[in-house]
Order: sequence, then C-alpha cells, then structure tokens
Amino acid sequence: MIEVSHVTKDFVMPKKYPGLRGAIKGLFSNEKTVKRAVDDISFQIGQGEIVGYIGSNGAGKSTTIKIMTGILSPSDGTCFVAGIDPNRRRKENAQNIGVVFGQRTQLWWDLPLSESFTILKEIYNVSDQAYREQMEFLNQVLELSAFFDKPVRTLSLGQRMRADLGAALLHNPKVLYLDEPTIGLDLVVKDNIRRAIREINEKYKTTVVLTTHDIGDIEELCSRIIIIDEGKKIYDGSLEALKDTYGTKRTLSLEVKQIQKASGFSPAEILGVREEECITELDFENSLLKITFDGHKLQAPQILSTVMNEIEITDIQLKETELAEIVKEIYRHGTEGE
Amino acid sequence: MKRRIKAYLPFTINELKRQMAYKGAFYLFILVKMFGAFINYYLWMAIYGSTNQNTLGGLTQGEMVIYIFMAYLTGTIVTVSVSNWVSEDVVQGTVAMNLIKPIDYRMSLISRASGDMIYQFLVPSVFIWIGLEIYRAAVPGLPPFSAEKVLFYLVSTVLSFLIYVLFDFCFGMIAFFTTYIFGLMMVKQALIAFLTGQLIPISFFPEAVQRVFDFLPFSSMVYTPVMIYLGKYTGNKLFFMLLRQAAWVVLLYLFGSLIWRKVTKRLVILGG
Repeated sequence: MIEVSHVTKDFVMPKKYPGLRGAIKGLFSNEKTVKRAVDDISFQIGQGEIVGYIGSNGAGKSTTIKIMTGILSPSDGTCFVAGIDPNRRRKENAQNIGVVFGQRTQLWWDLPLSESFTILKEIYNVSDQAYREQMEFLNQVLELSAFFDKPVRTLSLGQRMRADLGAALLHNPKVLYLDEPTIGLDLVVKDNIRRAIREINEKYKTTVVLTTHDIGDIEELCSRIIIIDEGKKIYDGSLEALKDTYGTKRTLSLEVKQIQKASGFSPAEILGVREEECITELDFENSLLKITFDGHKLQAPQILSTVMNEIEITDIQLKETELAEIVKEIYRHGTEGE
Repeated sequence: MKRRIKAYLPFTINELKRQMAYKGAFYLFILVKMFGAFINYYLWMAIYGSTNQNTLGGLTQGEMVIYIFMAYLTGTIVTVSVSNWVSEDVVQGTVAMNLIKPIDYRMSLISRASGDMIYQFLVPSVFIWIGLEIYRAAVPGLPPFSAEKVLFYLVSTVLSFLIYVLFDFCFGMIAFFTTYIFGLMMVKQALIAFLTGQLIPISFFPEAVQRVFDFLPFSSMVYTPVMIYLGKYTGNKLFFMLLRQAAWVVLLYLFGSLIWRKVTKRLVILGG
C-alpha cells in the first residue's frame, strides 16, 4: 500500500546568529544551513496494517508523514501510496488518504460541525448514499451526534479530535495518517479514539500510520512499529520482537519480613551468573528486595526458590520492562551513537 | 467539470456566511472607505471649480463624480486580498490542511474570494450604484442610462476581479519565502491605488507613462471597467479592452501555476 524507498528530505534555512549583533549580521549574510530532517528512509506497509511510527521530538516523523501525504516533496528517493506518487499527483492521492494532525484541525472553525461534513462531502465527491452509510457508522463509533450542530470553535478538545477523525474518514480512505491523534486527551477519550481506529481498521481494512508519543496508543493498536531517530530508521519490526530484543529485563519485587537478613545476600553468586545479569537492590524503608534479571538467562521461579531458602517472604510482584522504558532506552542509544 | 465546481462552491458560500458573521467590522470598513471617496470628491470639485476648462483629462465635472464613486465601488468589489489569506495560511501552517484535500489551492482561494466579491457587491455597492444612477439622471449633460453599458461593465468587472485575484495570488506566494508580507502588502496597496486609477484617472498621466501602463495589468483592474461604464470605449476599442483583460487573466493564470509549482517544491510547513 505504501512504498517508501530511500527518501531524504533536506531543509535549507538561512543561517541565524545569536543576539542583536547576530540579527544584524543575518541581514547581510547569505549563508544557508542545510538540515537533514529525513535521512534515507525506506519501508513498505501492506494493506490493513496499523503501523506505529515513533521517534523523539524532531526526529522527522511529521516530515515523513508530510511526504507521504504529498504536502512536501522529498529531496531524494521515491514514495508511492496506493501506486500514486503523492508529490506528483497530489490531488489524486488526496482522494485516497485521510489525515489527522492532532495539533491542527481541518474543520471549518466558524461553522457548525455538520456544515464541515457537508463541505467535505462535496470536496471528496461522496455520493448521498455513501455519505449516509458512512455517517451512520461514524456516529456509532465516534458518537458525533451529541455535538453535530455546534460550531467547531465551541467543541472540547476531545470532541474536536473525534470530529477531526470522522472528517478524515468521511470519504473512506485507503490510508489513514494520524499524527498524534491522542495528544492532550483524557483517558476515556483516548480509549474511545483507539477503539474507533481499531473498528475502522477491521471494517474497511484501512491502512493506518500512526505517530505518537503515547506508548498506550502503540501497545493497544500497533502490530508493527518503526522507530526513527535524527531522520534515520533505527528499528522496524513487530512489537513483540522489540520487547524480546530490548525488554528482556524483568524485575522481581519481594517484600520480606526482616530486611536486615537480606543485606549481603547475592542470588547472582548462588546461581552462578554474572553480577549485571542479576542485580539486587535493597529498599530498607519498605522492606523490599528488588532483583532485576535477564529474562533470557534466568527464570523467575529459580530466583524465587533461591531467595526463599534464605529469607521469609510476605509478598511477590513480577514486573516486565515497560515499552516506555524500552523506547526511552532506544532514543538514548540513538543519540549516543552519534 | 461540474463536479469540480461543486467541490469549490462551499468555499464561496462559506466566505459569504463568514462576512455576514462579522457585520460590525464590515460596515465600519465601508464607512472608512467612503470617507476616502468623499475626500477625493471634494478635492476634485475644488480643482474643477478653480479652472475655467470644462474637461480635465477628458472628463467633465459630472463624469468625474461618477468616475470617483465608480472607481471606489469597483475597487472595493475587485480588490479581495487573497495574499492576506495566503500569508495567514503560511504563518499558521494551515496551508497543510488545504494540501491534504483533493482540491487546487488557488482555485479554493479564488472561490473564497468570489464569496467576498459577491457580498461586497450586494451589500454596499448596489446602493451606491443606485445613488449614482439617480445623480446621473438629475444632472444634465451626462449620457443616459444604458443597459448595454452596464452589461459590459459587469463583464469587465468580473475580468478585473480575476486579474486582481490571480495577480494577488502570485504576490501572496512571496509569503512562502519571507513568511510575513505585511510591509510589502502596504506597499502593494499604495501602488495599486495609484496604478489602477483609483486615485487619479489614468488619462491624467503623461502620454509616455500611459504607454507603460498599457503593458501592466493594473489599469485593467479598475480603470477599464469604469471607463466602459462611462461610455468612453465603444465599438472596436471596447472589444480590444475586454480582450486585453482576458489576455491578462490567461497570462497571470499561467504565471501563477508556474510559481505555485516552484513553491510547492520548496515548501516548509511552519509549526511541526
């Protein structure tokens, strides 16, 4: 459905200098700086996939989305969406795609929401029949009817986001780009939006490309994720594989009766593994014994029995490394690698 | 083609609605502009009063009155500031929202401008026009009302509108390079008032300057339709003038397409 190969995007900016003297200097200098926002990125996305496209701020996510929607032209490389080059045939491509930019709205600010939908119906040339059916479906999943007659400027952020998502889906696009669709929303609305995206994806086999900083979005929606950093692709694969590779650390949290007994206790020594593969931490205040271990090397029961041989335990908790932690780790590595 | 027009019609209607929503500002604006037209009127009356010539620049005193108000009226209808919208879109980054829709950006702006034009025509202009017609009937020596002239005037005004909007679109493209064009817009407005004949009829300029104006699109924006209305162009001359306007429409359209293609190649969307 989407084919991106070796796409690069450079932005040329006039060079700016700091301070007032710099501002004056800037008036006379013609120097340009080139910023590479996207650097040789390639990927393919099939029909019906929901792909999370993530990266830290300024990593080049939005730029890539803009190239795929035809707003920006790549400096180098090619991009095809449903067989169409979005930059050469922007209008044809626009008919195939729906876009939600979480920080902007495509609705008519001064008009009632219903008007925006009628306008979009004309713009996308949606037939009356299709319009009715689609509105019924959107109403059901997004619950638009409650604020359908209110001017867009009076809608709450959650309502507006639902309306924007509805507007992007009115013409039943083949590809849906969501640029931070849940930004600034409360948990209930977030959940609604996610459910709606899932339902749409199931019903129409719509391909969804989602950029987000919300790990929940990714865990609940995406089967595949692409991570970019400083314009380069650093990971492309399934969520499970990512967790497998990076998220092998598990933490066993044990509440013990007498924490003093635990000092000097080292399961790593007893189990015969290296120190960093099984780290022990003591929390005297809460009488907690925390053991962080490598999930590939050790099993939780092994450690548990080792501990129980020595110390009396009152409570147990096992934690997987959260995706957020993994992503943080990857971002850090990505920047350190420079 | 029919479907394309249907796609752009909402922009026109939406702009009409928007104009009606901001009535207060709109009437104030008319008042301020009318003020300018009246200053112009008294100035010219003083000039005619202090000379013993009957015609100045080929216009009698009565014709000058009509010229002043017709030029004001035509200027109001025709000069819809598309470049202002472009610059707003660029500064706020909303141009991206236009580009994700299967529509032509320029066409959507022109459609929107049409809404503005229709509203300006319906609300203040028609009334001023009726007033002028009464004046024309009351003052002796002025040519009588002619439906034919009004018709040609309207055709010419629509062409003027297209020339102005297409020109202003090209001008607005500067915003993509400099982001803010407010200062330039002020310069443009001053130049337009001068070059289109809104301030002084072009027939007052020296012959050589008028030759230069013939090769610029500005005189076609206001001066031509007003002169048609005054009956100064007839027969072949009238057709030539209309043809010249049509030629400017085509030329500026092509020029705009060219610039737009260049601009979209190096587009930078502000704000993420």
